[in-house]
Amino acid sequence: MSHLWRRHRHWLAPTLFILPGALLFGVVIILASIETIWVSFFDWDGVGPMQWVGLANYEQLFADPQFYVSLKNNVIWLAMFMLAPPLGLALALLLNQAIAGMKFLKSLFFVPLVLASVTVGVVFTWVYDPTFGLLSLIYGWFGATAPALLSDEHLVSFAVVIAALWPQVAFCLVLFLAGLNNLNEDLIGAGRVDGARGFAMLLHVVLPQLREVSFIALAVTIIGALRSFDMVAVMTSGGPFGSSTVLAYQMYEQSIFSYRFGYGAAIATVLFAVMAVFIAWYLRTLLRPEQETA
Amino acid sequence: MASVEIHNVEKHYGGFHALKDISLTIDEGEFIVMVGPSGCGKSTLLKTIAGLETVTSGRLRIKGRDVTRLEPGDRGIAMVFQSYALYPHMTVEENMGFGLRMAKRPRAEIDTAVARAAQILRLEEQLRKYPKQLSGGQRQRVAIGRAITRSPDVFLFDEPLSNLDAALRTQMRVELSTLHDRLGSTMIYVTHDQVEAMTMASRIVVLNGGRIEQVGAPLELYANPINLFVAGFLGAPRMNFVAGRVTSTNGGSASVTCGGDLKVDFDDLAETPAVGAAVTIGIRPEKLRIGDPDAGTSFPARVRLTEYLGRETIVYADAGDLATSGSDSGTGVFTIQIGDIQPFAPDAPVSVGFDANAAYLFAPDGRTLSAAKPVTQI
Repeated sequence: MSHLWRRHRHWLAPTLFILPGALLFGVVIILASIETIWVSFFDWDGVGPMQWVGLANYEQLFADPQFYVSLKNNVIWLAMFMLAPPLGLALALLLNQAIAGMKFLKSLFFVPLVLASVTVGVVFTWVYDPTFGLLSLIYGWFGATAPALLSDEHLVSFAVVIAALWPQVAFCLVLFLAGLNNLNEDLIGAGRVDGARGFAMLLHVVLPQLREVSFIALAVTIIGALRSFDMVAVMTSGGPFGSSTVLAYQMYEQSIFSYRFGYGAAIATVLFAVMAVFIAWYLRTLLRPEQETA
Repeated sequence: MASVEIHNVEKHYGGFHALKDISLTIDEGEFIVMVGPSGCGKSTLLKTIAGLETVTSGRLRIKGRDVTRLEPGDRGIAMVFQSYALYPHMTVEENMGFGLRMAKRPRAEIDTAVARAAQILRLEEQLRKYPKQLSGGQRQRVAIGRAITRSPDVFLFDEPLSNLDAALRTQMRVELSTLHDRLGSTMIYVTHDQVEAMTMASRIVVLNGGRIEQVGAPLELYANPINLFVAGFLGAPRMNFVAGRVTSTNGGSASVTCGGDLKVDFDDLAETPAVGAAVTIGIRPEKLRIGDPDAGTSFPARVRLTEYLGRETIVYADAGDLATSGSDSGTGVFTIQIGDIQPFAPDAPVSVGFDANAAYLFAPDGRTLSAAKPVTQI
């Protein structure tokens, strides 16, 4: 027995360690994804019998004006979320200064990371409230009336994204702070000896060392923008008139509230296809540096 | 004109006193090597000259200009780091031209300077490569090339060869000496390797505990260490130290008795110790001889171990009650270096001898008491 174990240990041990994770990933992610794609070809209310409809769900989806509203909102999310990495970096550079009290200030910036996103959503709903919210208070100082952001179909998506940006910026801030702590001191020294300072130092010596962190921040932000759901659910439920709906929320609404699991699965499949593009880019970039050194 | 002047520099890190009243004047074109044990402050001193560390008090001048408060880039220095510190995202060419680019020099001037440095360091073929595509020795050359292109008044080297293997280290040592001859620039070089110090320096600065112990030409320091620390630090194998007591003095002479009833007479002392003082006798391994009837002083010992290095033989001999202190082996045996190959049976009884005027006498506080020895002329 022990002889057998010793002979096969070099592959048995890693296999045993990976097995639980791989099993979980296989069932929850891979199998579920395949089943979702399968379900998208059926008309199904979630409990009754499944009726094969072929591509009918997709045909209906691409003719649905609500789908294009969701898609447009996802693009708004994606575009505005791109602000998170540069804002996080700017804050990290600011908070990285060795000034007394900076530690306390840093911890204040971490607050949104501790809050559940539902909490952030609720808090921002109050901030935006046109009668008693913080925003109406600020407008009041200037003698103006605050717009009802969450009931304005043109502004509502932007208002929700700004709320979602708060924890996202904090997340990028943490990533960049960690990156700044790992800067190579000798390289900074070499830069100083070479006469680089201020913006030139940042551009030529500091930022290149943060390349990997920036990449992770960017990738996580993109995924975060595409899978946005909770903020929309808490703050607007997709309203008014579905004007703040995103793909993930539309999928949820169609499946759970309208009992159209086949249609919801079709939306999920489209969202999956969009994400797959970014995931492919992520994986390609992640694997490329290893090829370079080889 | 002096190239670098260091006036009463002090450096505190919180409660740690890293540099204690350092003053040193370095002439144009000198190759200064700073040596000392870990934590002696040699790297800190180099970084204060570079401007990477500020001084707590004191002044620094480079070419007569007060640079104490200037940024590193404004001091007219270039530095080669132990880790090379090459910018990983830049090619060799960009790495070497970066300093001039930051100084906003015209493109043509940068290209010329880089090409010249590449030619000096035989890097022409590597210019378009990235640091990670280069070997350790090549990276080191690029780091030196980056320093050369800036045509600095002073080159600073922080243990530049310690990451290289032994063969490459010897080769780079020769290359650096050649480079110094060719450029004629002032160079300040920090190392813990005393072979580098002895072979490259025009003057060696020995540091210990944040203080300068002694400054001088390599052979001068080797022949006439100012105290026990310098005597023990320079020379490999290390000098043999034996504790003794002054039994009698007569003008400039003193008799010292050590364990095992060994008696050594010193003449022409620079300073006469008090009778009864606990002194230390030092004798370099190459000054000890085995079985020489003409040796002025001798004592019996037994061979413990023999190392045959080819052109020389190192013998470790145990003299019983006459034990050495602070030896490399840490066992109290004598280290004897013989210039040829002599076979010794283990445990063989031998007579170890030396001439008293080749020995050193150190006061209880470590100062050298014996007369200055002539430095072998080259």
